[in-house]
Amino acid sequence: MVKLALALVMAPAVAMAEHQHGMVAGGAEEPGSSFAAGISLVAATYDTMEYGGEYQGIVPAARWSRGRFAAAASFGMYRLEKNGLRRYGAGDAMVHGQATIVRGHGLEGGVALAVSAPTGDRQEGLGMGHPMAMPAAYGRWRTSAGSVDASFGYGRAIGGESQHAGHGSGPLVDPMNFQELTFTTSGELVLARQLRTGARLSGAMPVGDGTTRVIGGVRVLWTEGRVDTAFEIQAGLAGDPFTVRGVVETALRF
Amino acid sequence: MKTIILALLIVGCGGGDSPTPTETVCPSPDPQTVTYDNFGQTFMADYCTQCHASTLPRAQRNGAPLFHDFDDLIGIVQVANHIDEQAGVGPAASNHFMPPERCPETPGGPLAIDCPQPTDDERRQLAEWIACEPDRPHTF
Repeated sequence: MVKLALALVMAPAVAMAEHQHGMVAGGAEEPGSSFAAGISLVAATYDTMEYGGEYQGIVPAARWSRGRFAAAASFGMYRLEKNGLRRYGAGDAMVHGQATIVRGHGLEGGVALAVSAPTGDRQEGLGMGHPMAMPAAYGRWRTSAGSVDASFGYGRAIGGESQHAGHGSGPLVDPMNFQELTFTTSGELVLARQLRTGARLSGAMPVGDGTTRVIGGVRVLWTEGRVDTAFEIQAGLAGDPFTVRGVVETALRF
Repeated sequence: MKTIILALLIVGCGGGDSPTPTETVCPSPDPQTVTYDNFGQTFMADYCTQCHASTLPRAQRNGAPLFHDFDDLIGIVQVANHIDEQAGVGPAASNHFMPPERCPETPGGPLAIDCPQPTDDERRQLAEWIACEPDRPHTF
Protein backbone atom coordinates (compact mmCIF):
# COMPACT_ATOMS: atom_id res chain seq x y z
CA MET A 1 0.00 0.00 0.00
CA VAL A 2 2.80 2.37 0.87
CA LYS A 3 4.52 1.51 -2.39
CA LEU A 4 1.37 2.15 -4.36
CA ALA A 5 0.82 5.47 -2.67
CA LEU A 6 4.43 6.44 -3.29
CA ALA A 7 4.18 5.60 -6.95
CA LEU A 8 0.98 7.52 -7.36
CA VAL A 9 2.20 10.58 -5.55
CA MET A 10 5.59 10.79 -7.18
CA ALA A 11 4.44 10.47 -10.73
CA PRO A 12 2.74 13.79 -11.38
CA ALA A 13 5.45 16.39 -11.09
CA VAL A 14 8.12 14.86 -13.28
CA ALA A 15 5.58 13.61 -15.75
CA MET A 16 3.78 16.87 -16.07
CA ALA A 17 6.94 18.90 -16.23
CA GLU A 18 7.72 17.38 -19.59
CA HIS A 19 4.44 16.73 -21.32
CA GLN A 20 4.46 13.03 -20.74
CA HIS A 21 1.14 11.73 -21.85
CA GLY A 22 0.92 8.40 -20.15
CA MET A 23 0.02 7.36 -16.67
CA VAL A 24 0.38 10.30 -14.37
CA ALA A 25 -1.55 9.17 -11.36
CA GLY A 26 -3.57 6.10 -10.66
CA GLY A 27 -6.62 5.62 -8.57
CA ALA A 28 -5.81 4.89 -4.97
CA GLU A 29 -7.05 1.65 -3.54
CA GLU A 30 -8.71 3.24 -0.54
CA PRO A 31 -12.30 4.38 -1.10
CA GLY A 32 -11.88 7.95 0.17
CA SER A 33 -10.25 10.88 -1.47
CA SER A 34 -6.53 11.46 -1.14
CA PHE A 35 -4.50 14.53 -1.92
CA ALA A 36 -0.88 15.33 -2.50
CA ALA A 37 1.05 18.49 -3.21
CA GLY A 38 4.54 18.50 -4.56
CA ILE A 39 7.23 20.57 -6.15
CA SER A 40 9.87 19.73 -8.71
CA LEU A 41 13.14 21.47 -9.43
CA VAL A 42 14.39 21.00 -12.96
CA ALA A 43 17.75 21.90 -14.46
CA ALA A 44 18.89 21.09 -17.98
CA THR A 45 21.34 21.91 -20.71
CA TYR A 46 20.29 21.73 -24.33
CA ASP A 47 21.84 22.07 -27.76
CA THR A 48 19.40 22.09 -30.65
CA MET A 49 19.98 23.03 -34.27
CA GLU A 50 18.99 26.66 -33.66
CA TYR A 51 19.47 27.21 -29.94
CA GLY A 52 21.82 26.27 -27.19
CA GLY A 53 21.83 27.06 -23.50
CA GLU A 54 20.30 25.91 -20.26
CA TYR A 55 17.20 26.27 -18.19
CA GLN A 56 16.07 25.84 -14.63
CA GLY A 57 12.50 25.43 -13.52
CA ILE A 58 10.32 25.10 -10.49
CA VAL A 59 7.12 23.14 -11.05
CA PRO A 60 4.47 23.00 -8.32
CA ALA A 61 1.97 20.19 -8.75
CA ALA A 62 -1.17 19.01 -6.95
CA ARG A 63 -2.98 15.74 -7.18
CA TRP A 64 -6.27 14.24 -6.13
CA SER A 65 -7.50 10.67 -6.38
CA ARG A 66 -10.57 8.73 -5.36
CA GLY A 67 -11.14 5.11 -6.22
CA ARG A 68 -10.53 4.59 -9.90
CA PHE A 69 -10.21 8.26 -10.68
CA ALA A 70 -7.36 10.70 -10.35
CA ALA A 71 -6.57 14.24 -11.41
CA ALA A 72 -3.49 16.41 -11.25
CA ALA A 73 -2.38 19.90 -12.21
CA SER A 74 1.00 21.55 -12.60
CA PHE A 75 2.40 24.91 -13.60
CA GLY A 76 6.09 25.57 -14.15
CA MET A 77 8.14 28.74 -13.86
CA TYR A 78 11.45 28.87 -15.70
CA ARG A 79 14.69 30.71 -16.12
CA LEU A 80 15.75 30.10 -19.71
CA GLU A 81 19.03 30.98 -21.36
CA LYS A 82 19.10 30.65 -25.15
CA ASN A 83 21.87 31.83 -27.44
CA GLY A 84 23.08 34.32 -24.85
CA LEU A 85 19.64 35.73 -23.97
CA ARG A 86 18.22 35.21 -20.49
CA ARG A 87 14.48 35.07 -19.92
CA TYR A 88 12.17 34.33 -16.98
CA GLY A 89 8.61 33.17 -17.36
CA ALA A 90 5.85 30.65 -16.95
CA GLY A 91 5.58 27.46 -18.94
CA ASP A 92 2.31 25.96 -20.11
CA ALA A 93 -0.14 25.02 -17.37
CA MET A 94 -1.42 21.48 -17.47
CA VAL A 95 -4.23 19.42 -15.99
CA HIS A 96 -4.57 15.68 -16.19
CA GLY A 97 -7.47 13.34 -15.55
CA GLN A 98 -7.34 9.59 -15.41
CA ALA A 99 -9.63 6.62 -14.96
CA THR A 100 -8.60 3.06 -14.19
CA ILE A 101 -10.72 0.70 -16.25
CA VAL A 102 -9.37 -2.72 -15.32
CA ARG A 103 -7.60 -3.78 -12.15
CA GLY A 104 -6.69 -7.12 -10.60
CA HIS A 105 -3.96 -9.72 -10.10
CA GLY A 106 -1.32 -7.00 -10.04
CA LEU A 107 -2.44 -5.64 -13.38
CA GLU A 108 -4.00 -2.28 -13.98
CA GLY A 109 -5.05 -0.41 -17.10
CA GLY A 110 -6.86 2.74 -17.93
CA VAL A 111 -7.19 5.88 -19.95
CA ALA A 112 -6.02 9.42 -19.36
CA LEU A 113 -6.44 12.85 -20.82
CA ALA A 114 -4.03 15.73 -20.32
CA VAL A 115 -4.83 19.24 -21.45
CA SER A 116 -2.42 22.16 -21.43
CA ALA A 117 -3.07 25.87 -21.74
CA PRO A 118 -0.60 28.14 -23.55
CA THR A 119 0.40 30.20 -20.55
CA GLY A 120 4.03 30.01 -21.67
CA ASP A 121 5.40 32.47 -24.22
CA ARG A 122 5.97 30.61 -27.48
CA GLN A 123 8.16 33.34 -28.88
CA GLU A 124 10.53 32.97 -25.94
CA GLY A 125 10.60 29.16 -26.08
CA LEU A 126 8.52 28.69 -22.94
CA GLY A 127 5.25 27.45 -24.39
CA MET A 128 3.52 25.79 -27.30
CA GLY A 129 1.44 28.83 -28.18
CA HIS A 130 -1.73 26.73 -28.34
CA PRO A 131 -3.79 24.51 -26.06
CA MET A 132 -2.79 20.87 -26.29
CA ALA A 133 -4.95 17.78 -25.87
CA MET A 134 -3.17 14.54 -25.04
CA PRO A 135 -5.26 11.39 -24.62
CA ALA A 136 -3.45 8.19 -23.67
CA ALA A 137 -3.93 4.60 -22.57
CA TYR A 138 -1.75 3.03 -19.90
CA GLY A 139 -1.03 -0.25 -18.24
CA ARG A 140 0.85 -1.36 -15.14
CA TRP A 141 2.04 -4.67 -13.76
CA ARG A 142 3.04 -4.65 -10.12
CA THR A 143 4.57 -7.23 -7.81
CA SER A 144 6.11 -7.03 -4.37
CA ALA A 145 9.51 -6.61 -6.02
CA GLY A 146 8.63 -3.73 -8.28
CA SER A 147 6.51 -2.57 -11.15
CA VAL A 148 6.48 -2.10 -14.91
CA ASP A 149 4.50 0.65 -16.62
CA ALA A 150 3.76 1.44 -20.22
CA SER A 151 1.64 3.99 -21.97
CA PHE A 152 0.82 5.01 -25.49
CA GLY A 153 -0.79 8.28 -26.42
CA TYR A 154 -1.46 11.00 -28.90
CA GLY A 155 -0.92 14.73 -28.55
CA ARG A 156 -2.17 17.53 -30.71
CA ALA A 157 -2.20 21.30 -30.60
CA ILE A 158 -5.61 22.87 -30.98
CA GLY A 159 -5.49 25.47 -33.75
CA GLY A 160 -2.67 27.36 -35.45
CA GLU A 161 -1.39 24.52 -37.61
CA SER A 162 0.04 26.84 -40.29
CA GLN A 163 2.15 28.63 -37.72
CA HIS A 164 3.97 25.43 -36.86
CA ALA A 165 4.76 24.30 -40.39
CA GLY A 166 8.50 23.81 -40.68
CA HIS A 167 9.20 25.22 -37.23
CA GLY A 168 10.25 21.97 -35.60
CA SER A 169 9.54 21.07 -32.01
CA GLY A 170 7.79 23.32 -29.55
CA PRO A 171 9.03 24.92 -26.35
CA LEU A 172 12.69 24.66 -25.42
CA VAL A 173 11.72 23.84 -21.84
CA ASP A 174 9.36 21.08 -22.95
CA PRO A 175 9.77 20.07 -26.60
CA MET A 176 6.68 18.77 -28.32
CA ASN A 177 5.48 18.47 -31.89
CA PHE A 178 2.30 20.03 -33.20
CA GLN A 179 0.90 16.53 -33.55
CA GLU A 180 2.58 13.38 -32.29
CA LEU A 181 2.33 9.84 -31.01
CA THR A 182 3.89 9.30 -27.61
CA PHE A 183 5.10 6.38 -25.55
CA THR A 184 6.51 5.80 -22.10
CA THR A 185 7.90 2.63 -20.57
CA SER A 186 9.31 2.43 -17.08
CA GLY A 187 10.30 -0.06 -14.47
CA GLU A 188 10.92 0.23 -10.75
CA LEU A 189 12.61 -2.07 -8.30
CA VAL A 190 12.03 -2.08 -4.56
CA LEU A 191 15.42 -1.93 -2.81
CA ALA A 192 14.17 -1.50 0.73
CA ARG A 193 10.94 -0.66 2.49
CA GLN A 194 11.45 3.05 1.86
CA LEU A 195 13.74 3.00 -1.11
CA ARG A 196 13.23 2.22 -4.77
CA THR A 197 15.11 2.70 -8.00
CA GLY A 198 13.90 2.77 -11.54
CA ALA A 199 14.54 3.55 -15.17
CA ARG A 200 12.40 4.71 -18.00
CA LEU A 201 12.33 5.42 -21.69
CA SER A 202 9.90 7.84 -23.24
CA GLY A 203 9.52 9.55 -26.53
CA ALA A 204 7.40 10.83 -29.34
CA MET A 205 7.11 10.50 -33.09
CA PRO A 206 5.64 13.40 -35.05
CA VAL A 207 2.56 12.98 -37.18
CA GLY A 208 3.52 15.07 -40.19
CA ASP A 209 6.33 17.60 -39.79
CA GLY A 210 8.37 17.47 -36.64
CA THR A 211 11.12 15.77 -34.74
CA THR A 212 11.29 12.34 -33.18
CA ARG A 213 12.59 12.53 -29.64
CA VAL A 214 13.59 9.89 -27.12
CA ILE A 215 14.45 10.43 -23.47
CA GLY A 216 16.07 7.95 -21.10
CA GLY A 217 16.26 8.34 -17.35
CA VAL A 218 17.20 6.63 -14.12
CA ARG A 219 15.79 7.55 -10.76
CA VAL A 220 15.96 6.92 -7.05
CA LEU A 221 12.88 7.37 -4.84
CA TRP A 222 12.56 7.27 -1.11
CA THR A 223 9.83 7.98 1.41
CA GLU A 224 9.89 9.34 4.94
CA GLY A 225 6.54 9.51 6.66
CA ARG A 226 4.18 11.41 4.39
CA VAL A 227 6.97 12.94 2.35
CA ASP A 228 8.13 11.29 -0.84
CA THR A 229 11.26 12.44 -2.62
CA ALA A 230 12.86 11.43 -5.88
CA PHE A 231 15.88 12.30 -7.95
CA GLU A 232 16.00 11.55 -11.64
CA ILE A 233 18.76 12.11 -14.16
CA GLN A 234 17.71 12.11 -17.79
CA ALA A 235 19.46 12.18 -21.14
CA GLY A 236 18.11 13.20 -24.51
CA LEU A 237 18.80 10.15 -26.68
CA ALA A 238 17.26 11.41 -29.93
CA GLY A 239 15.80 14.61 -31.26
CA ASP A 240 17.70 17.03 -28.99
CA PRO A 241 14.98 17.55 -26.35
CA PHE A 242 17.88 18.38 -24.02
CA THR A 243 21.39 17.13 -23.44
CA VAL A 244 21.16 16.26 -19.74
CA ARG A 245 18.41 17.09 -17.30
CA GLY A 246 18.14 16.59 -13.56
CA VAL A 247 14.87 16.57 -11.66
CA VAL A 248 14.45 16.66 -7.91
CA GLU A 249 10.93 16.40 -6.64
CA THR A 250 9.28 16.10 -3.30
CA ALA A 251 5.64 15.63 -2.42
CA LEU A 252 3.54 15.63 0.71
CA ARG A 253 0.61 13.25 1.01
CA PHE A 254 -2.34 14.29 3.13
CA MET B 1 -12.05 18.68 -13.24
CA LYS B 2 -14.37 19.81 -16.03
CA THR B 3 -14.19 23.33 -14.68
CA ILE B 4 -10.40 23.31 -14.66
CA ILE B 5 -10.17 21.98 -18.22
CA LEU B 6 -12.72 24.51 -19.41
CA ALA B 7 -10.80 27.31 -17.72
CA LEU B 8 -7.56 26.20 -19.35
CA LEU B 9 -9.17 26.07 -22.78
CA ILE B 10 -10.63 29.53 -22.30
CA VAL B 11 -7.21 30.84 -21.29
CA GLY B 12 -5.69 29.06 -24.25
CA CYS B 13 -8.12 30.25 -26.85
CA GLY B 14 -7.87 33.78 -25.56
CA GLY B 15 -4.12 33.90 -25.95
CA GLY B 16 -2.32 36.77 -27.64
CA ASP B 17 -1.19 37.12 -31.23
CA SER B 18 1.31 34.72 -32.63
CA PRO B 19 3.58 34.88 -35.68
CA THR B 20 1.40 34.48 -38.76
CA PRO B 21 2.15 34.42 -42.50
CA THR B 22 1.07 37.70 -44.05
CA GLU B 23 0.01 35.92 -47.26
CA THR B 24 1.62 38.69 -49.25
CA VAL B 25 1.89 37.72 -52.92
CA CYS B 26 4.50 39.05 -55.31
CA PRO B 27 2.75 40.91 -58.15
CA SER B 28 2.93 39.25 -61.53
CA PRO B 29 4.94 40.17 -63.40
CA ASP B 30 7.43 41.03 -60.65
CA PRO B 31 7.69 44.85 -60.76
CA GLN B 32 11.20 44.78 -59.21
CA THR B 33 10.30 47.91 -57.25
CA VAL B 34 11.58 46.57 -53.92
CA THR B 35 14.94 44.83 -54.12
CA TYR B 36 17.80 43.78 -51.89
CA ASP B 37 19.89 46.66 -53.15
CA ASN B 38 17.31 49.42 -52.80
CA PHE B 39 15.53 48.16 -49.67
CA GLY B 40 16.43 44.80 -48.12
CA GLN B 41 20.08 45.37 -47.33
CA THR B 42 19.41 48.69 -45.60
CA PHE B 43 16.37 47.33 -43.75
CA MET B 44 18.36 44.42 -42.38
CA ALA B 45 21.28 46.62 -41.38
CA ASP B 46 18.99 49.09 -39.63
CA TYR B 47 16.83 46.61 -37.74
CA CYS B 48 18.23 43.07 -37.70
CA THR B 49 21.94 42.40 -38.04
CA GLN B 50 22.89 43.55 -34.56
CA CYS B 51 21.86 40.02 -33.57
CA HIS B 52 21.14 38.17 -36.83
CA ALA B 53 24.66 38.11 -38.21
CA SER B 54 26.75 35.19 -39.37
CA THR B 55 29.77 36.70 -37.63
CA LEU B 56 28.19 36.38 -34.17
CA PRO B 57 28.85 33.27 -32.09
CA ARG B 58 25.92 31.72 -30.25
CA ALA B 59 26.62 33.36 -26.91
CA GLN B 60 26.55 36.85 -28.47
CA ARG B 61 23.36 36.52 -30.53
CA ASN B 62 21.02 37.76 -27.79
CA GLY B 63 18.60 34.95 -28.50
CA ALA B 64 18.69 35.05 -32.31
CA PRO B 65 18.50 31.49 -33.62
CA LEU B 66 21.40 29.97 -35.49
CA PHE B 67 21.07 29.90 -39.28
CA HIS B 68 18.93 33.05 -39.19
CA ASP B 69 21.63 35.40 -40.46
CA PHE B 70 20.62 38.43 -42.46
CA ASP B 71 23.95 39.97 -43.34
CA ASP B 72 23.80 38.50 -46.81
CA LEU B 73 21.03 37.70 -49.27
CA ILE B 74 21.29 33.93 -49.15
CA GLY B 75 20.74 33.91 -45.39
CA ILE B 76 17.59 35.98 -45.82
CA VAL B 77 16.13 33.90 -48.63
CA GLN B 78 16.66 30.67 -46.69
CA VAL B 79 14.30 31.77 -43.90
CA ALA B 80 12.12 34.23 -45.81
CA ASN B 81 8.91 32.76 -44.39
CA HIS B 82 10.16 33.22 -40.83
CA ILE B 83 11.00 36.86 -41.49
CA ASP B 84 7.53 37.41 -42.92
CA GLU B 85 5.90 35.83 -39.85
CA GLN B 86 7.96 37.86 -37.43
CA ALA B 87 8.13 41.30 -38.98
CA GLY B 88 5.93 41.51 -42.09
CA VAL B 89 2.66 43.35 -42.55
CA GLY B 90 0.27 42.14 -45.23
CA PRO B 91 -3.30 41.19 -46.02
CA ALA B 92 -3.50 38.34 -43.51
CA ALA B 93 -1.39 39.57 -40.59
CA SER B 94 0.45 42.46 -38.99
CA ASN B 95 3.49 40.96 -37.32
CA HIS B 96 5.41 43.12 -34.88
CA PHE B 97 7.33 40.40 -33.04
CA MET B 98 10.66 41.59 -34.38
CA PRO B 99 12.63 43.67 -33.69
CA PRO B 100 12.17 43.10 -29.94
CA GLU B 101 11.96 45.87 -27.35
CA ARG B 102 15.64 45.93 -26.40
CA CYS B 103 18.66 45.75 -28.67
CA PRO B 104 22.45 45.84 -28.38
CA GLU B 105 24.16 49.09 -29.20
CA THR B 106 26.86 47.21 -31.06
CA PRO B 107 26.62 43.76 -32.68
CA GLY B 108 26.80 41.08 -30.01
CA GLY B 109 26.73 43.56 -27.14
CA PRO B 110 24.39 43.69 -24.15
CA LEU B 111 20.77 44.78 -24.59
CA ALA B 112 21.41 48.44 -23.86
CA ILE B 113 19.03 50.45 -26.03
CA ASP B 114 15.43 50.46 -27.25
CA CYS B 115 15.33 48.82 -30.64
CA PRO B 116 14.57 51.11 -33.57
CA GLN B 117 11.27 49.96 -35.03
CA PRO B 118 10.31 49.94 -38.71
CA THR B 119 7.12 51.69 -39.73
CA ASP B 120 4.17 49.62 -40.93
CA ASP B 121 4.87 50.86 -44.43
CA GLU B 122 8.41 49.50 -44.17
CA ARG B 123 6.99 46.22 -42.89
CA ARG B 124 4.67 46.05 -45.91
CA GLN B 125 7.62 46.63 -48.20
CA LEU B 126 9.50 43.91 -46.33
CA ALA B 127 6.67 41.43 -46.86
CA GLU B 128 6.48 42.28 -50.55
CA TRP B 129 10.22 42.01 -51.02
CA ILE B 130 10.32 38.70 -49.11
CA ALA B 131 7.49 37.42 -51.32
CA CYS B 132 9.33 38.35 -54.52
CA GLU B 133 12.99 37.74 -53.76
CA PRO B 134 13.07 33.91 -53.60
CA ASP B 135 11.86 33.65 -57.21
CA ARG B 136 14.32 36.13 -58.60
CA PRO B 137 17.50 34.92 -60.34
CA HIS B 138 20.47 34.53 -57.99
CA THR B 139 24.00 33.38 -58.41
CA PHE B 140 24.07 31.34 -55.19
